[in-house]
Amino acid sequence: MSGRNASNGLMLLTLALGFALTLMPLPTTLEPARPYWVAMILIYWNLETGRLRLLGQAFVIGLILDFLTGTLLGQHALGLLILVFLLERFRNRIRFFPPWQQAAAVFALLLNERIVQLWIILLGGHGWPVWTWWLAPVVAMLLWPWLFLLLDSMRRRQRLLRS
Amino acid sequence: MNIPGNAYSSASASDLAGRTARLMMYGLLAVVLMTLDFRGRHVERVRAGVIGLAEPVFLAIESPFRLVASLRANVRDYQGLLAERDQLERSLRESEARLLLVDELVDENAELRGLLDASDQLDSRFLTAELRNIDLNPYSHRVFINRGTRHGVRSGLAVIESAGVVGQVDQVAARSATVILISDPDHALPVRVKRTGLRTIGYGSGRIDELRLTDLPMNVDLEPGDLLVTSGLGGRFPAGLPVAEIVEVRRPAGEAFAVAQAQPLARLGSIRHLLVIELEAPGPLPGLMPVDEPEPVVEPVEDEA
Repeated sequence: MSGRNASNGLMLLTLALGFALTLMPLPTTLEPARPYWVAMILIYWNLETGRLRLLGQAFVIGLILDFLTGTLLGQHALGLLILVFLLERFRNRIRFFPPWQQAAAVFALLLNERIVQLWIILLGGHGWPVWTWWLAPVVAMLLWPWLFLLLDSMRRRQRLLRS
Repeated sequence: MNIPGNAYSSASASDLAGRTARLMMYGLLAVVLMTLDFRGRHVERVRAGVIGLAEPVFLAIESPFRLVASLRANVRDYQGLLAERDQLERSLRESEARLLLVDELVDENAELRGLLDASDQLDSRFLTAELRNIDLNPYSHRVFINRGTRHGVRSGLAVIESAGVVGQVDQVAARSATVILISDPDHALPVRVKRTGLRTIGYGSGRIDELRLTDLPMNVDLEPGDLLVTSGLGGRFPAGLPVAEIVEVRRPAGEAFAVAQAQPLARLGSIRHLLVIELEAPGPLPGLMPVDEPEPVVEPVEDEA
């Protein structure tokens, strides 16, 4: 019971770190290519521990992101919603992919998320984003194996501490 | 999907149907929220409440970056500081010299206004502000500053930087506020063309380096390079602040109006130091004249006629 709580604590901590990384200042030229940290962390916990699988959880996390970043309320929520839905459909396969293939799956999911975002941005009359905006899923793909290893080792260390 | 096993696939099929239904429901909810946010004021009120809650989060996220910045400031070398001090002193001297001229102009202006019996010039106070180290979504066209109600910031105050107009204060929390940039598609700024005196409105385009002037007459006297300044109409911005420079004027065939593109003078993408202008109006704000107030000059003329 307490182990589950501790693990929940770790999950919330990493999510909070994800929010912080989302708001972290970057140079203007790099800013559009910022990887979607929260989505990556969510995908990790979904695949590895089977938590954060509910659509409602994705929706709430998206709403928090909308409030923090000042986007249209529901923009990130819709993106994460669709992402978690797709992830659930292919979850059993993606889980057992080798890391590079998993990274490719993450790339596909995040690219799809970008397309949803693009749709909303264009409907809102903001015009086409700069081309570096499309680099974000690529950056996420390159970072994925390292993020995966990092989170895995954090989880393992915590499990060792508990026992 | 290619899931083997009959019982398993039927169970997962009903599961899938439930999930799809929930996806639709949440998706609809998200779309409704976005629509409300895009058009309505209801969500605005929720947001204004939430910014108070979110402020500690922002401060917490910012603190490590502020620490790094202060550490870096501490280890800066002596020579560099001296050079910077010299440069600042020079620029201060220049500014002071220029201010002397301005002082004289202010006196002259007051005299002229006295002769014309015009209303008093607005007295404005400046409040320096700095951008918080928080990156909001680049599509929100908002920046986060480190002044709030504590310092007397109110929603609607004009925000400028040394090069030109930046925007106006949108939401205010205790120690911080968001500023909506003039490039936001929802923002409209009353401007005047400095060369010709033509008054029009500059709309945000959604791009950080572009303002749009729509509804211009086809025969408008406007050329690339013309400077746009605030017209002071609307009462939010003091008149005469530099805003943007015309880049392109187009007169599309078959359209009723000419359109122009302008580039904001303020470096909206890379600003750090800002000034919040607090207008202290000696009476009601200009431009917000109550409708029921009769025009004192017009009526006697009508009586005589």
